[in-house]
Amino acid sequence: MISLQPLTNPKASALYSSSLIPPNPFFHSLKTLKPPTPYLKPFPRIQSILQYNRKPQLAGETPRVVVITSGKGGVGKTTTTANVGLSLARLGFSVVAIDADVGLRNLDLLLGLENRVNYTVVEVLNGDCRLDQALVRDKRWSNFELLCISKPRSKLPIGFGGKALTWLVEALKDREEGAPDFILIDCPAGIDAGFITAITPANEAVLVTTPDITSLRDADRVTGLLECDGIRDIKMIVNRVRTDMIRGEDMMSVLDVQEMLGLALLGVIPEDAEVIRSTNRGYPLVLNKPPTLAGLAFEQAAWRLVEQDSMQAVMVEEEPKKRGWFSFFGG
Amino acid sequence: MATLWTLQQLHYSPSFARKDSAKQLGCRIVATFYYSGNCWKRTSACKTHRKFVLRAYSHPPPVKSSGDGGGAEFDNDNKSVVPAVPDEAIMVNCNNNEYPQQKPKRPHEDMPQSLVFKLQATVASLPPVIFSMKRHFSASFTLGLCAAATLLLFVMRSYASRKSNHSRPGSVADLVRRGQLRSDRRGISTPLKYDDPFNNPMVKVGKSNSTVEMCGRVYKLAPVTLTKEQQAIHQKRRSRAYQWKRPQVFLKEGDSIPPDVDPDTVRWIPANHPFATTASDIDEDLAQNNVYQKHGVPFRIKAEHEALQKKLEALQNEQKLDKLVIDAGAAKDFERPFKSPLKAEDQIVDKGPLNGQMGSKQPNSDPVHKSHRSASEEMQNP
Ligand SMILES: Nc1ncnc2c1ncn2[C@@H]1O[C@H](COP(=O)(O)OP(=O)(O)O)[C@@H](O)[C@H]1O
Ligand SMILES: [Mg+2]
Repeated sequence: MISLQPLTNPKASALYSSSLIPPNPFFHSLKTLKPPTPYLKPFPRIQSILQYNRKPQLAGETPRVVVITSGKGGVGKTTTTANVGLSLARLGFSVVAIDADVGLRNLDLLLGLENRVNYTVVEVLNGDCRLDQALVRDKRWSNFELLCISKPRSKLPIGFGGKALTWLVEALKDREEGAPDFILIDCPAGIDAGFITAITPANEAVLVTTPDITSLRDADRVTGLLECDGIRDIKMIVNRVRTDMIRGEDMMSVLDVQEMLGLALLGVIPEDAEVIRSTNRGYPLVLNKPPTLAGLAFEQAAWRLVEQDSMQAVMVEEEPKKRGWFSFFGG
Repeated sequence: MATLWTLQQLHYSPSFARKDSAKQLGCRIVATFYYSGNCWKRTSACKTHRKFVLRAYSHPPPVKSSGDGGGAEFDNDNKSVVPAVPDEAIMVNCNNNEYPQQKPKRPHEDMPQSLVFKLQATVASLPPVIFSMKRHFSASFTLGLCAAATLLLFVMRSYASRKSNHSRPGSVADLVRRGQLRSDRRGISTPLKYDDPFNNPMVKVGKSNSTVEMCGRVYKLAPVTLTKEQQAIHQKRRSRAYQWKRPQVFLKEGDSIPPDVDPDTVRWIPANHPFATTASDIDEDLAQNNVYQKHGVPFRIKAEHEALQKKLEALQNEQKLDKLVIDAGAAKDFERPFKSPLKAEDQIVDKGPLNGQMGSKQPNSDPVHKSHRSASEEMQNP
């Protein structure tokens, strides 16, 4: 008898119905929660997406030119560009991702498009091909395009590197099929010529950092340079967060990071082994089914990017899940 | 007997929704308590069940309605009858009851049964305290077993029914299983391209707004406290710490700074920089035009093509004029490969596009040919 009780327990029935409760204003900000307003754009292509029950509302002027930068290498700029870019494409926005990591190009690998890159911006500048020939259209999401700056062994004529990117943005703006909604620029590590080139056309920045002190110092420096350069809209993504380590006080929490940098949060990406697996497959995480923890976090970050929104609450630690006796049977 | 009836009812009841059945079960069991309280003036559950179990092998099943007040007689009966009970009684019992799980002993265990009954007889003759404890234990154990068996049956039943639903070919469930339909989006023809990342089966925010469940794990939420003022303070701190002028001019190391350039905005690029170079074989305006070009043949391809065309024409004109004179020279050219390998290479390259007539006489033609070659290669695999 005792063992039968939980079936009539309100807790257990709450498990079935909880998907019906409306999302929480606390977790993502009020702006995200606005009732969906129809998204009106001059292109009929985008209006066909109105069947979706909820989608983000595009804020700001298009094309939104966003540079994804970090200072330190290996913190996840390229991963962020690929996943946020494809999330945006899935939300129905047209996206051009520019791999401006001239030295260590690998966005094409992450996207699984490495075999389709024949021409790069260097060839466009030289007149070996036109810009539209250098854009690689993703076959999974046809509103996503990749543009690489240069081939691994060629050198970028840096004398007009920054200007060249501005021309590119201009050229993309008056394409026949219309300006893209988002131009994401994957910035190289460091604050070298490549960095200067990459940030030139941007009017907003996403700073990727991990919760460790070296990455934070570089991030602070880069933020300072971006601000000097007139980019004021800077938000950060804290990557590779391990909630189990925060609880043990071994790692800075996201809020500690925010206190040190004083930047609005666009997203918090947990450490996830699936990231590495998807990198190796050339299949960005956000396309995984069922979604993984990091994939969902990237999708949420993309959503906030669209709405020019930031996080109002962060996940701090893991709680042991309270389970009914019978959740074992599929509750 | 109320107990027996309840359990039978439960066991053979048609399958209904799980929650309902649980409720029903609960009521029934409460009902049992009620009866037992009535007839025995005792509220102990185990007492009731013990009574039931013992009755099961001492008697053929009584009429259901005779439940009230019969209990005392049974208990008396029990003590006197058990030692003498024949095996047939058990057989009859099990057939009529149609409920094998309730019986601790099965009819096909004939051999040990007489032993068991002897044992029980001895047990019955033991002092009453121990006896009741023993009975207590076995009764609750049996009850537990019954409950577990019923439950298992339920789970299996619901599973089986779900499975049979799925396997019916052509049903909606079958289509969903085969990935043709999405169960949550019946009636909408185009497939869903994404899920709302803030509210889907994998992401649920707790009712108290202080937790979120993602991918089956529950996380605590902490509010973000950063204010605009704090952000401004950080900005000010950074603008003091990192005074930076964006480099405007890129110069090769060793070059002299042009007079009108602020030395702070010069970025020096070493000659062996891994990916950047200050040298460019094409000027800025031309590069800009190349970026803006929307249609037609790309600039360089066109230029190379035109240069080649011109050269070809020039050569053809020359050929017409000097045809007779050249013949002897061409004969000599064939001997060259054997003389010097370096010249032989030029020779072969030149022969390709120009029919090998007068290549060796054009020392300055190499760059054009090479670039032509690379261009044509690229055209082959766009
Ligand atoms: N959230 C994460 N969890 C686990 N590994 C990650 C995560 N984010 C990035 N990585 C790994 O870190 C490495 C560097 O990422 P990458 O995006 O190439 O960095 P960057 O472009 O900044 O140099 C990659 O191997 C990637 O798989
Ligand atoms: Mg990278």
